[in-house]
Amino acid sequence: MNKRHPRFLAPFATLVAGTIVAGAVAIGHTWAGAIATEVVTVIESGIYYLVTGSDSDIGAIYRQRTDERQREVRLKAVKLAFTVMMISTFVIAVIMVALGDQYWQESVLWCAGGLTFLFGLARYGAHEPRDLGTGGIMGADRSWETPRDSETHVER
Amino acid sequence: MSQVDLAAELGVSRQTIIAIESGKYSPSLPLAFRIARFFDLPVEKLFDPDDEEIDV
Repeated sequence: MNKRHPRFLAPFATLVAGTIVAGAVAIGHTWAGAIATEVVTVIESGIYYLVTGSDSDIGAIYRQRTDERQREVRLKAVKLAFTVMMISTFVIAVIMVALGDQYWQESVLWCAGGLTFLFGLARYGAHEPRDLGTGGIMGADRSWETPRDSETHVER
Repeated sequence: MSQVDLAAELGVSRQTIIAIESGKYSPSLPLAFRIARFFDLPVEKLFDPDDEEIDV
């Protein structure tokens, strides 16, 4: 669907996710709530469809047809969203603790976000190539030297 | 040449051309070299870190 109909990807994903939530509402709560959720989902999907068709950065990002600058814009937006989510989770957890209510859901979200961030740092960060030795690039530059060349000679 | 044509030629969006022209975005090295090659100019003639706007 992505390659053939990129414009439909975001609206379709929204429709599927919203319908799953509506189904959960129908099972655990009321049919009226489920219908309301589905109506909001359909409206949201329609808005996504309109936005995705526009000649703009948002349209390109939702169509997944981005150039290098739009990928940077997307990364910045994801970073902002992650920061807001983590702060919101923290605030809600503090409120839940203060109210004496359960707060394990917020703790799970907080830990998942934090650990994923650490994983991302380890996964995408630059690492020293192991074959260059302990001196890194500088060490590699001197690799032609024999150990004797690099020794310090003291005249007696 | 319009921004649309230039964008199509370089394989980027029209918004990116506008951002580069207005100095709001510094292109990557590959894109900077593509632009320089397209205009048949040295890359340092087009992009100067001290300038805010592209020199095209």
